[in-house]
Amino acid sequence: MRWQALALAAGLAGLGVSIYLTVVHYSAIPVACPATAQVNCEQVLASPYGVIAGSAIPTSAAGIVWFALSALLAAGRVAGRVELARPQLAWAALGLATVLTLVYIEIVELGAICIWCTTAHVLVLLIFLVSLSSSNMARVRT
Amino acid sequence: MAPVAVVAAIALLVAAFLVIRWYTTPLPPRPLTVDATQHVLDIVTNIAPPELDVVGTGSANNLVKRVSGSPLTGPNGHPEVFYMGAEYCPYCAAERWPMIIALSRFGTFSGLKTTSSSSTDVYPNTPTFTFHGATYTSQYVDFVSVETTDRNQSPLESPTSAQQALVNQYDTAGSIPFVDFGNRYAFSGATYLPDVLGGMSWKAVADSLLNPDSPQAKPILGSANLITAAVCKLTGDQPAIVCSSSTIQSIEKTLG
Repeated sequence: MRWQALALAAGLAGLGVSIYLTVVHYSAIPVACPATAQVNCEQVLASPYGVIAGSAIPTSAAGIVWFALSALLAAGRVAGRVELARPQLAWAALGLATVLTLVYIEIVELGAICIWCTTAHVLVLLIFLVSLSSSNMARVRT
Repeated sequence: MAPVAVVAAIALLVAAFLVIRWYTTPLPPRPLTVDATQHVLDIVTNIAPPELDVVGTGSANNLVKRVSGSPLTGPNGHPEVFYMGAEYCPYCAAERWPMIIALSRFGTFSGLKTTSSSSTDVYPNTPTFTFHGATYTSQYVDFVSVETTDRNQSPLESPTSAQQALVNQYDTAGSIPFVDFGNRYAFSGATYLPDVLGGMSWKAVADSLLNPDSPQAKPILGSANLITAAVCKLTGDQPAIVCSSSTIQSIEKTLG
């Protein structure tokens, strides 16, 4: 239960990061991020990968959806709903697969890291690890 | 699977990504000698006007926007074209080619040196020139440039407070390159993607500009014509030999 509370907190934190990046995308506010050769949020966010499939929708909008549902699933688990263990793990696995793709794009394709994106990626990993551990425990109990 | 194993697997994967990046990042080309640079510049700064006319705006994106502000006058009392960019920036690297072509129709550059964009940024090692250390003379227009960092992102030049104010006013997203045409027109970002220059030498780019149908000539000469038209707006269509061309006149109309 304590770990699920951590997943809930990570989901909410990720939601905040995703909302921030989406607001930055739709407004003229410059992203708060250092700009060096390796760390450069502007370069990552302004790249073709900063939007979903060439649309005007920022990739961070997908992050809002993913983190919101993750937070809801974690909240359900905190409330004792063991049957959410598998959906939570599947959802977290989907998130982790997406993160690995995005990390590949950042490192190999763009050669730059966005620290806000990396923060969100770490939160996804955290949620996945909690889901994995909780799923194992739920299996042991049943 | 234990969480520790997952973390270890991800760490290995990230390490593999870094190795791939390192392995696939090309080495920067060596800057040209003074003589070789001059040879390339002789081609770039002497593109025949009929060829420029044939290309029109080519495949360049017209990013030039009308802006309103006090007329910007340069150090010699002429309307000022202000550029801010950085040597590491691939978009700046791309945009310097058309800027040099266009401005060479109004005056003369000296001291231009070859360089390439960062090896670790997108479009790595895009061949270009640097405005750092170069001078420009013209009886029609003043050109002022600020290259903020070198290709390794070490500080090079700093804008004055007045120049920074221009950037803050007209380039709210902070994109570079930023070009201000006398506070009448401005654009930020590149008018074409640097990928058309990927893997090319300076000489190869220069030679490609002699063929108006080449993938490099269309965006570079197209962009040069856009810049030429914006400068003609500043100079009151002087010199006539440049600005009276039907192509430039036609582009000027689109600038408003």
